[in-house]
Amino acid sequence: MKREERKLTTKQTKKFSFGEYWDRYSTITILALMVAVFGVLRPTSFLTGGNLVKVMEQSSITILLGLGEFFAILLGGIDLSVSSIMALSGALTAQLMVNMGLHPVVAVLLGIVVFGALIGMVNGVLVTATGLPPFIITLGTQAILRSLVYIVTDARAVSGLPAAFSKTVGGKLGGIVPVPIVVALITAIILTFFTAKSQSGRNLYALGGNSQSAWYAGIAVKKHTILAFAISGVCASLAGMVNIARLAAAEPNAGTGYETYAIEAVIIGGASFFGGIGKIPKVVIGGLIIGVINNGLNMVGVSSYYQQLAMGCLLILAVTLDRFFGASRKNG
Amino acid sequence: MKPIIEMRNITKYFPGAIALDNIHFDVQPGEVHVLLGENGAGKSTLMKVLSGAYTPDGGVIAIDGYGEYAKLSPHLSAECGISIIYQELSVVNWLNIRENIFMGHLKTKKAGPLTLVDTAGMNAETADLLQRVNLGHRQPGTEVGALSISEKQMVEIAKAIAFNARIIVMDEPTSSLTEDEVQRLFAIIRQLKAQGKGIVFISHKLSEIAEIGDRITILKDGGYVGTYNVPDLTTDDMVRLMVGREIKGTYQHPAAEQYQFGDVLFECNHLTRRDGKAKDVSFALRRGEILGFSGLVGAGRSETMCAIYGAAPKAEGELLLEGKPLHIKSPYDALQQGIGLVTENRRETGFFPNFSNRRNIAIAYQLKKSSFGGLGGITNDAKEKELAELQRDELQIKCTSLEQLTSQLSGGNQQKVILGKWMAAGVKLLIFDEPTKGIDVGTKSEIYKLMRSLADNGIGVIVVSSEMPELLGLCDRIAVMAGGRITATYDIGEATEEKLAKAATGETA
Repeated sequence: MKREERKLTTKQTKKFSFGEYWDRYSTITILALMVAVFGVLRPTSFLTGGNLVKVMEQSSITILLGLGEFFAILLGGIDLSVSSIMALSGALTAQLMVNMGLHPVVAVLLGIVVFGALIGMVNGVLVTATGLPPFIITLGTQAILRSLVYIVTDARAVSGLPAAFSKTVGGKLGGIVPVPIVVALITAIILTFFTAKSQSGRNLYALGGNSQSAWYAGIAVKKHTILAFAISGVCASLAGMVNIARLAAAEPNAGTGYETYAIEAVIIGGASFFGGIGKIPKVVIGGLIIGVINNGLNMVGVSSYYQQLAMGCLLILAVTLDRFFGASRKNG
Repeated sequence: MKPIIEMRNITKYFPGAIALDNIHFDVQPGEVHVLLGENGAGKSTLMKVLSGAYTPDGGVIAIDGYGEYAKLSPHLSAECGISIIYQELSVVNWLNIRENIFMGHLKTKKAGPLTLVDTAGMNAETADLLQRVNLGHRQPGTEVGALSISEKQMVEIAKAIAFNARIIVMDEPTSSLTEDEVQRLFAIIRQLKAQGKGIVFISHKLSEIAEIGDRITILKDGGYVGTYNVPDLTTDDMVRLMVGREIKGTYQHPAAEQYQFGDVLFECNHLTRRDGKAKDVSFALRRGEILGFSGLVGAGRSETMCAIYGAAPKAEGELLLEGKPLHIKSPYDALQQGIGLVTENRRETGFFPNFSNRRNIAIAYQLKKSSFGGLGGITNDAKEKELAELQRDELQIKCTSLEQLTSQLSGGNQQKVILGKWMAAGVKLLIFDEPTKGIDVGTKSEIYKLMRSLADNGIGVIVVSSEMPELLGLCDRIAVMAGGRITATYDIGEATEEKLAKAATGETA
């Protein structure tokens, strides 16, 4: 009797553990703190519905790239070519519409399936066939694909996209919600389901946790590696579609350096750089954090020179807190 | 005679276990003192206390000419003349013999204001040392990577002599040597004895112990059994003292010799690996039977099992399960056709460190019912929970919750999670490779009982083990492999450690 009572009281007075809290809510806490700080500093310009929607719209490309990057990092690898895939699929889709007069729906489908998925699969095949680290392979394809962008566009912007395309993808749903946000969210929801519920999603976590065990357990390691890079390619091409629609043109320099944002979104989102740990919704929040920093600092009037500095500090701080307070880090 | 070293009442605790309990151990000059015990008995721990790697929690180490110490440091241990040659040799393959011997103690000479490396002096000394270990035909400048294992061992002995070792500990020095090489090693050991050095000889091979040993100290489960003169003990005595029980019949059926086994469950005919690591391996497993595979490391046992499981490069041969031919090209195929493998290295190839117990247990079941090689299919948390709960209760897995990470469990419980994974997937044949490696004694016996109950329930059980007492205590039949071939098969009634050890060297009794 007495023992049971004591049990109850210990349960009630269960100590608050910062580690456990941080493990679960680190990303959303950072986002909330950011919004709060900028909200207090600029209540009338930052904290308005219109601006917050704008932040989300600006973040949609980072989020889409981050969603793909997540799968490369989940395997303990990395995909540096996402920015080039984004530019190339955007440029090729634009040319299909402008120069070949293809219907926008057909062009976009080709852009995603052929340019996005296929290029991603090539990355995956190269990684599995050579056994080289994904860093090296995708550093190579990043350069190759960027060069292809210049070749197919002759280093000039492809403009004159059909209005039906840029008005739809670059427009607003019901006149309120920008379509890029809708694209990013739908992608995130599909991938959340994929990682949490599908067998191949589970296998990707297994593969990232221990590739040897995965092979011995009967998981097709090569097929799953190719799948991960294909998803990364598809997400990058979606970012490419959104990008050309928003600008109503395909710029050959589009997305240069964006792979860094993608990686930052994933890492700030709490994914382990060693693979096997991470969640899709947190990548979305990671992408929003980057958007809030850029937008908020602009609002506060901080020179853009300092924005990278803030990003860098935040990245190191977030991962350091994970290392010291994360209760269930896998290397424990 | 005064011992060179005397360890008295050495006690060492590990979290949750006593690793050494009041151990006595001393080494006289000019003797070979054998240290015998099963894996996990505490031999390595005791030697790590001697090398200064571990600090004992109690006891005294007295060293002739130095004094008494409560603990040694690696530096002090070396200074007192203690030299340890580990089973995994610590030579550096890309350095030459001279550099290996003088590593960390380079001889130097003065040349005016400069201090230079004295290569010529070291070469002369190395040549002399090589003569003393019968490696006179090798040059000091030869790269160690080009030497055989036996020769590398001699280089380590030469290194010990070079720095005036008074005690040389050899940890299973003969485990990967041929019979000729063993005799050469013994010749060197006899020379070292004659020079008054103390040799600590750790080995599982009882016939060798009888041949080379003078005294023997036996450990069991971290406890001290006793120290004896080798000629006073028969090999049977040694086994009895080491395991402390009659090892046969422990987990077999009460009247194993009369027990009626069922029909043939699994058959392996003429299995040959393209890389030559398994040659023409044929065996059959009856229902209700546990078949053991004995042999030395590298004899082709694990390699054969990997080939059956589809985890090895291409192999030819015929596999039959319940009379039907199997087609296995990958572990996925093996899983689909009802075969599981509990691998030797849990951490490296067994479970997923980032997965909860629930996920680790459910993964094989999920994969088995998935489509397109694991690419298709939906996971089912409720079903996973049900499977994991069942296995947790059946196997008595000790964990705080099914959502706890498997990497946080003890080795024994991790092994049970892996066992649960295969049970949940409903395998018909389960192959165990060193199933109790690094697992404490209590959990070991639980795992043996589980394996026996699998066999009783009609699941084929094959065990690869390097611990002969384990095989003798568990199996109904034991096949011995050497050089990629099965050299002998014994029913448990006729199997002995001596016969197994002999067949493992390639001879048959």
